[in-house]
Amino acid sequence: MQHVANLSELRAKEVHAAAIEVAELSHVYLGRDGKVPALEDISLTVGAGRFVVIVGPSGCGKTSLLMMMAGLRRPTSGTILCAGRPIDVPDPDRVGVVFQEASLFPWLTALENIEFPLSIRHAPRLERRRRAEAMLNLVGLAGFGARYPHELSGGMKQRVSIARGLVQDPPVLLMDEPFAALDEQTRMTMGHELLRIWSQTNKTVVFVTHSLTEAVYLADEVLVMSPRPGRIIDRAEVTLPRPRTYEMMATDVFGRLRERIWQKIRKVT
Amino acid sequence: MRPAPATVRRLIFVLMLVLWELVPRAGLLPELFLPSLSRTLGVLMHNWAEYAHALTVTLYEVVLAMLIACGAGILIGAVIGGLSRVRQLLLPVFSSLYAVPIVILYPIFTAWLGVGSQSKIAFAGVYGFFPVMLSTAAGIQSIDQNFLVAARSMGASLPQQITRVVIPASMPTVLAGLRLGGALALIGVIVSEMLTAAAGIGYLVSKYRTVLDSPRVFAAILVILVLSVLFDALARWVERRALAWQTAGRREPGLPVEETYTGTTVPA
Repeated sequence: MQHVANLSELRAKEVHAAAIEVAELSHVYLGRDGKVPALEDISLTVGAGRFVVIVGPSGCGKTSLLMMMAGLRRPTSGTILCAGRPIDVPDPDRVGVVFQEASLFPWLTALENIEFPLSIRHAPRLERRRRAEAMLNLVGLAGFGARYPHELSGGMKQRVSIARGLVQDPPVLLMDEPFAALDEQTRMTMGHELLRIWSQTNKTVVFVTHSLTEAVYLADEVLVMSPRPGRIIDRAEVTLPRPRTYEMMATDVFGRLRERIWQKIRKVT
Repeated sequence: MRPAPATVRRLIFVLMLVLWELVPRAGLLPELFLPSLSRTLGVLMHNWAEYAHALTVTLYEVVLAMLIACGAGILIGAVIGGLSRVRQLLLPVFSSLYAVPIVILYPIFTAWLGVGSQSKIAFAGVYGFFPVMLSTAAGIQSIDQNFLVAARSMGASLPQQITRVVIPASMPTVLAGLRLGGALALIGVIVSEMLTAAAGIGYLVSKYRTVLDSPRVFAAILVILVLSVLFDALARWVERRALAWQTAGRREPGLPVEETYTGTTVPA
């Protein structure tokens, strides 16, 4: 437990540094009936090393917001700073992304999938292999590197996706409902695994989900979004100690937090 | 125990060869309709120079026609599949053209290009072009957009997205189109040789048919059969090699992949 205590101390120090700063971000897209406001006046700060979860009803723009943080989409107005610099285009040195469903390339093995971001950068073959193997170990898939995605279970595929998102060692990991397609038990296991990986790598994580239980279980802080146009209507600090355990889900603190978030969402929908 | 399908297929094949030999010999069919296998092979051996020359002409035309069909098909298919503006403009036209029996254009090709190899190459090239073009367009159009978004998030440039994602992702559909287009190019060459020509295997078929020399007709047919079977085997081999990932871990049908893992724990 010694290293865990050290890690949380470390994290407490790093809270001062912001990994992601979103300021006055709004987004409008052109729909069938003219302009549709999708995101409205969003400002948020994610401290370095924090685990922040964004929840909200479907269609509230939480995925859009995440894609903007990844530099994959541009907001109509407002700024996004990542490690102090604006992010206009995807920058895998600063931000790794894990997508909703298996976005793994089916024609590559698990190991080749993890190597993909490195090979895009023309990293030397041996270096690539070494780092991909290390990531495979980290996500608990040692020995599965030669498997193709169709030979892996849903949970294993998402482990590979996480490894791929981490392989370039970016300080920030963005996750877009990564476990949404998994069954309940696998989902719980994967959440727990993610926390283990997070505590071992000390990344900043922004995690989008529509599961409130998952949100409270994983997060340092939960941001609640309203339906379209998406705004941030609540910030709930999760004071549960780490490492989190399944037993905590039965506690009053957990239940009250979950209830508070649910009431917020229910009120506006 | 039931025999394997492959064994049954081989047996049927051998049975047909045996019937080809026995039916004419027993006098069940006159030789004009079906000369025996041994007779046909004998004629083929005896006239090998004539058939070999015809085969080189046909092969030359087939190879060039396939190059045209595949090259133009992939190029235009990629443009149509990749650019939605072009697709909306041209795809309906090309899809309709595919249904037209293009053989009606062959007289025009001979009028323009003569009765030599050029008209066969041009006709067969056009004939094989459509399936290649249509499947390339479909393959590129149906690529999962998530793959491209993921590649972009990992910093892939546009050329890298094309070489590392678009090409491998569309490979299965494109290869299926190439096999079909190649087969049509082969058919196109043979058909055009049979219609108007002065050389080639198809020409031998129609030439000896008009003089009712059945063994020589069947000798030519045999050569064409072998040629098309060889082409199909080659195309399938290429597909298997290029798409090995699709069948990985499925060598033993019925055995779930997970059960082949011999470690202690299988992660979620």
